[in-house]
Amino acid sequence: MRQHKHPLLPGTMVLFMTADTPDSTLPQNTRAIMTFLREHAPFSNMDDPHLAHFAENAKLTFFSDGEEVLSPDGDVVKHFWVVKQGRIRGERFNEKDNRAETTFEISKGECFPLAALIGERPTRTLHRAAGDTFCLSIDHPAFVTLFAESEPFRDFCLRGVSSLLDQVNQRIQSTAMASIGSSSSLDTPLERYALRAPIICTPDLPVNEAVARMHENNVGSIVVTDDQQQPTGIFTLRDLRMLIAEGADSLSTPIRHVMTPEPCRLLASDDAFDAAMLMAERHFAHVCVVDDNNRLIGVVSERDLFSLQRVDLVHLARTISTASQLSTLISLRHDVSRLVDTMLAHGADSGQVVKIITTLNDVTVRRVLELNLKQNDPGIPFTWLTFGSEGRQEQTLLTDQDNGILFDTPDGMTEDQVREKLLPFARKVNDELAQCGFTLCKGNIMASNPKLCLSEAEWDDWFQRFIEASTPQNLVYSSIFLDMRAIFGPDEPLRRLFSKVLTRIEKNALFQKMLAGNALQRKPPLTLFRTFRYLNDDNKKVLDLKRQGLAPFVESIRVFALANGIRAANTLERLDELAKKNVFDQKDAGAWKESYSLIQAIRMRAHQDLLANDEPLTNYIDPDDLNPLDRRILRESFRQAQRLQQKLELAYQL
Amino acid sequence: MFSNVKRWLSLKRNGHSSIDMDNLPTPKTAGDQSLSNSRLIVLDLETTGLNTAKDEVIAIGAVAIEKGAIHLDDQFDLILRRPELDIRETVLIHGIGPEALTQGQETKEALLHLLEWMNGDPILAYHAEFDKRFLERTLKAQLGYTRSHVWMDVAELMPAFFPKAEPKGRGLDHWSDLFRLEVSERHHAAADAMVTAELTLIALNTAQKSNVKTLKDLSQKLRYQRRLQKMKRF
Repeated sequence: MRQHKHPLLPGTMVLFMTADTPDSTLPQNTRAIMTFLREHAPFSNMDDPHLAHFAENAKLTFFSDGEEVLSPDGDVVKHFWVVKQGRIRGERFNEKDNRAETTFEISKGECFPLAALIGERPTRTLHRAAGDTFCLSIDHPAFVTLFAESEPFRDFCLRGVSSLLDQVNQRIQSTAMASIGSSSSLDTPLERYALRAPIICTPDLPVNEAVARMHENNVGSIVVTDDQQQPTGIFTLRDLRMLIAEGADSLSTPIRHVMTPEPCRLLASDDAFDAAMLMAERHFAHVCVVDDNNRLIGVVSERDLFSLQRVDLVHLARTISTASQLSTLISLRHDVSRLVDTMLAHGADSGQVVKIITTLNDVTVRRVLELNLKQNDPGIPFTWLTFGSEGRQEQTLLTDQDNGILFDTPDGMTEDQVREKLLPFARKVNDELAQCGFTLCKGNIMASNPKLCLSEAEWDDWFQRFIEASTPQNLVYSSIFLDMRAIFGPDEPLRRLFSKVLTRIEKNALFQKMLAGNALQRKPPLTLFRTFRYLNDDNKKVLDLKRQGLAPFVESIRVFALANGIRAANTLERLDELAKKNVFDQKDAGAWKESYSLIQAIRMRAHQDLLANDEPLTNYIDPDDLNPLDRRILRESFRQAQRLQQKLELAYQL
Repeated sequence: MFSNVKRWLSLKRNGHSSIDMDNLPTPKTAGDQSLSNSRLIVLDLETTGLNTAKDEVIAIGAVAIEKGAIHLDDQFDLILRRPELDIRETVLIHGIGPEALTQGQETKEALLHLLEWMNGDPILAYHAEFDKRFLERTLKAQLGYTRSHVWMDVAELMPAFFPKAEPKGRGLDHWSDLFRLEVSERHHAAADAMVTAELTLIALNTAQKSNVKTLKDLSQKLRYQRRLQKMKRF
């Protein structure tokens, strides 16, 4: 860059006397910049020579609070910038309100202006320093070199935030894995895990018989004990595999010759974390649990530790589905919430958790229906429909009931006569579900509503009117009725009905466009103060994660799914299908799935916190209560929602 | 960049100095050059002690400010000698054995390159008097060089432009804490030069707004600041 009098003189003079790392051949300040870069995406994934290229060509500039950094009046963008300290605010002038509004905020480690740089145009947004700010920049030639040579860098520039989200997500997963070590659930003493009686044998038992015993009991290990019930060895399926692979002469040799002697053991009072650490260190999948006298009490396997929640789930589902009375079902709701807690503590994915809640809710609904049928069967074949979030299998603990009945009219009866029989039954089911914690629907979208207790022909009519005479009111209902699922009774009638609905929607471009317009009503809460746009002026610091965060995803994706004949109601499944059909780019679909799941995860964690404090559940959060990583995740997720809505706008020219 | 160093070293090995002693850049004076277009050197020395008459310079770190930015491709980061290190370790890097390179020559060469690299531009440093004395003494002793550069003290620059700021003390750390700057490695000449340069950027940003436009303006402002300090003392 610099011109010097002497052609041989290097721009940067470096001579180092130490050679501990390859980096040490670089000047201290270059290394320091590389260290800074490594903490942030996409640099964290870039190779050292590329980082060095960045650092060596970087320029550090200071901007005081409020100073312009880049302006739409400027030339084609020639520099790639990274915030080193402070913040950059994107500002657009709103002609309507005659004032500048913040459209985004870029903080430490973030890059700008990607779109303008890639598009080789001036920026469209005024970039202004928010607070005293230092930025690193590289010029166009250095940028082009990196863009050409570093794949992570190129990918990042082209995809912007979506690949950042990938990385944030990877980090969450690794934190979740790490937090398994510290989460409270692993503080559980082992005695609570190893409740099953261990499968044991004497040292003289032939291997084949020991294996038979393992097989009978469906376990992966057998503990060899002496007369005092003290473990002397352990034999696992892995040992068996090795034995056979090594070409054992006979499987009738006594097990003591092939067992692992002196097995790992822990006291019953040790906790799950100790066991996990022991397994991780020694690469064992099984640990013997003994009492103070070294007598075997049980065996804990790796699977026991890490899929405890699944065991609970199966157990809980079974208890619900066999409950003999309503009061039992009501009391079990508490266990559902506790299960969710455990799963979240284990770092479970929010998609899994909502599905599990939905599964348990389904089991509960079915059981309520079964108990009522036992007491008082109206004698009409029907399918119990569920709409909205339950239809999408996206329920959290805070849930309304949205349901309906699709009945088969018996010969010789009119539809009204059927309704006369079914409505009282439905009323009772709705009431009992309310007692189980499924709040009665304020909009009366319930099976006990005569308008939603219909025959197949009536439903078909209903949907036809719904689609062909779209009124604003209909559109509000679209988020409920177009996400439906059968949870009790025959599936086939709904399948037939929904095929017709899909065909009608696919053919009706106007309805699609109106749906799309409706889906754009709820904007992701980004803009003002610190990039988050709050719910309203009274609640200065409140975001509604459901309506402002999730709804933009759910509603936009619904439009695409219905327009493309996708039957699935679940948002994540719809995204998968849309990617499969090439409606969405694979990577976009991935980014949207993640963003949606991340918002959902933050929402569920907030629910669990509220429950723990005995506070009523809401979908409201104050982002300031979140840790910085979650805040950033939320912000990036909302940006993804904006991208998705832009795609919808484009598709329907809105 | 590194290949340049190698080239320089290979020249040295062959016994040719790449610097023409007689044609070193002439130090500039603080005239009407505009601040935003001048190149400023921000420098920090690492020494064996605080005695400017006896102690030795160990390391020189410097960055250049130009057009309101620190350019990482225009920096100087040189460790002159490490008495605690065996010279044999260095062979790995620069390929020069102890027999080919006595330490005195190395220092001489390094200083010549520093002068060449500085290009006679004004030098800023934190507590500049200290660095000035050390550097001038070393230049004189090693090269017989006696021309003086324009020096400015960043320790004076900061209170001059931020009279209302209240750092917890008068040191580099206090000012960098005040602006929440991070020092990558404390008491590393280049890292200290960097943080000093960052403070300078902040001060120059304010200077632009307060009608301090030229090197001359800046040096007058500093002189005024010194007088103010003296008056305060009495």
